[in-house]
Amino acid sequence: MSVIDWSVLVFALAGIIIYGLIRSRGSRSMDDYLLAGQSLPWYHVGLSVMATQASAVTFLSAPGQGFSDGMRFVQFYFGLPLAMVVLSITFVPIFHKLKIYTAYEYLESRFDFRVRTLTAGLFLLQRGLSTGLSIYAPAIILSTILGWNIYWTNLLMGGIVLVYTVTGGTKAISYTHLQQMAVVTFAMALAGFLTVKMLPEGVGFVDALHVAGEAGRMNLIDLKFDPNSRYNLWSGLIGGFFLQLSYFGTDQSQVGRYLTGESIGQSRLGLLMNGLLKVPMQFLILLVGVLVFVFYQYNPSPTFFNKQETDRLKESPYASAYQLAEIKHQNLTTQRQKAVMDMQVALKTDNEDAQNTAGSVLRETDEALKQVKTDVTNLIKKNNPSADTNDVNYVFLRFVLDYLPHGLIGLLIAVIFSASMGSIASAYNSLASTTVVDIYKRLIKDDSDDAHYLNVSRWATVGWGVFCIVVAQFANRLGSMIEAVNILGSLFYGVILGVFVVAFYVKSIGGRATFWSAIISEVLVVISWYLDLTAFLWLNVIGCLLVVGIAWILQKVIPRPA
Amino acid sequence: MPENPTDLPPFARSWTQLYAIVIGSLAVEISLFYLLMHWLS
Repeated sequence: MSVIDWSVLVFALAGIIIYGLIRSRGSRSMDDYLLAGQSLPWYHVGLSVMATQASAVTFLSAPGQGFSDGMRFVQFYFGLPLAMVVLSITFVPIFHKLKIYTAYEYLESRFDFRVRTLTAGLFLLQRGLSTGLSIYAPAIILSTILGWNIYWTNLLMGGIVLVYTVTGGTKAISYTHLQQMAVVTFAMALAGFLTVKMLPEGVGFVDALHVAGEAGRMNLIDLKFDPNSRYNLWSGLIGGFFLQLSYFGTDQSQVGRYLTGESIGQSRLGLLMNGLLKVPMQFLILLVGVLVFVFYQYNPSPTFFNKQETDRLKESPYASAYQLAEIKHQNLTTQRQKAVMDMQVALKTDNEDAQNTAGSVLRETDEALKQVKTDVTNLIKKNNPSADTNDVNYVFLRFVLDYLPHGLIGLLIAVIFSASMGSIASAYNSLASTTVVDIYKRLIKDDSDDAHYLNVSRWATVGWGVFCIVVAQFANRLGSMIEAVNILGSLFYGVILGVFVVAFYVKSIGGRATFWSAIISEVLVVISWYLDLTAFLWLNVIGCLLVVGIAWILQKVIPRPA
Repeated sequence: MPENPTDLPPFARSWTQLYAIVIGSLAVEISLFYLLMHWLS
C-alpha cells in the first residue's frame, strides 16, 4: 500500500470513530448506553441493522463467490424480506411494549427463568464464538495479502471497535453505522464502475453480462428442489426465511438495533427498509465479483489468488509440478481470451451460431481452468496441510491490489475495516447487554442503581471484546469464512427460534416442556450437522420444528406441576 | 411505546399495504432475476 492508501485508510477510519464518539456524548444511563434512549429514527435503525449483518466477509467472500460460483448465492437472501414482515407484525410490537433490553427477558415473562437463561446462554456461546470468527476472517486475509502480522491485525480489528463501543455505547454504534454504510456503498460502486471501465475498448456493461451468462455465472435462480443443494430458490425462501427470522428475531445483536427505534413504527420501517434493500444490495456485491470474472476473461488471471501459498509452492519439492500447471493455465487463458473475443464479434454481428460456438469453448476452458486450480490446490495441501486453500476469499482483494488505482485501494481496505467494525460493535454491545441484563442483574445483583449497571455494562463490553479477540487468535482455517459464520449460526438459531415460536404462537406449552425440548433439539441439530445429513440452511428449519414438536409432545407427557 | 399512524411513509396507507409492497418487491426481483438469467444464457 502506498502513502496515499494509508492516508485514505487512516482518515476514513478516524473520521468514522471520531464522528461516532462526538454524536454519542452524554450516555448517562443504562437505557442510553444499551438502547440509545429509544430515540432513533427509521433510517438509523435500517442502516444499523444492515451494517450489523454486512460484516467484512460479505465484502471479501461474496465477490469471490460471484467470481467462482456465479450469482446463485443471492438466493440465500430471498427469505429475508418475508422475515422482516413477520418480525414487524409479531416481534417488534411485543418487544417494544414490554420495554425490554434483551429478547430473552421476554422468555421469563412467558415461560420461566430457566428458559430465559438457557436461551441467553446459547446466544452468548454462539455470538461470542462467531464474533471471534468475524474478527479473524478479514484479519487473516489482510495479513496474508498485505503481509501484516495476524496477531496484530486481529488486535487492531477487534481493538479499535472497543474504543467507541465502550465509551459511546449503542448511540456511537448507530452513528458509526451510518458512516460505515456510506463508505462501503460508495467504494463498492466505484470498484464496480472501474472494473467495467477497465474492460477492453468496445466491451460495455451489457457485453460483460453476456460473457458472464455464457460462462454460467449469471445463475441467479435454481428452481430445482434439492435438500442437499446449498443455494436454490426453495432453500433460500424457506431455509433462508427461518435463518433470517431467527437471526433478526432472537439474536440480540439485531434485536438491540431495532429496539433503539423511537416508536414501534420507526423500528418497523427500519426493518422493512432492510427487507427492500438487502436483496438488491447483495445482488450488486455479487455482480462486482462477476464483473471481476469477466475482466479476467480478457486479462491474464493468477492460477491461485492467494500468492503467499503459490510462493511457498515455488520453493517446495512440488515446484516442477506447479510449473507444469502454470503452463497449462497460461495456454487455457490464451484459448479463453480468443473465445471471448470471438464471442464479442458474434454478439456485435448478432451471429447466433458463432455465439453458441464461442460460448461452448468458453465453458470448456472454464471447466479445464477449474481442474488446473483443483490440481494446484492439491499441491498446496500436500506441501502445507494447514494452508488456507479457500481461494474465494482472496479473489477480490488480489484484484483490488493488482489493478485498482492508489487511493481506492486504501478506501477498499477501509471498507473491510468499516464493515468489520459495524458488525463487531453490535456483537460486543449485544453480548454485554445480555450478560448484564440476563445474567448479572438477574442472577448476581438485582438491587443496585443505574450508575452501577452502566459501569458493569462498560466492563462487560471490555470483557467480551477481549474474549472475542482471543477466539480470533486461536481460530483455525475454516473454508469460506462467510459460510463458516452462517453454519455456526445455523447450529443454534433454529433452536432459539423454536423457543420464540412456542412463546409467541403456542400458548398451551409451558416452560418445562420448552426447556427440555430446546436441549434435546440442540443435541439432534448438532448430530445432523456432524453426520452431514442435510445442507446447513435446513438446520434452521429442523431446529425450529424439533423444538415445537418435542415441546408439544413433552407438554402432553410431563404432568403439570401442582 | 406508542404505535403512531404518522410513521407510515406517504406512499402507503396502512401497514398491511407496506408489507404487501415489500413482499411484492421480492416477487418482482425474483421474476427479473429469472428473466435476466434466461436472456443472458
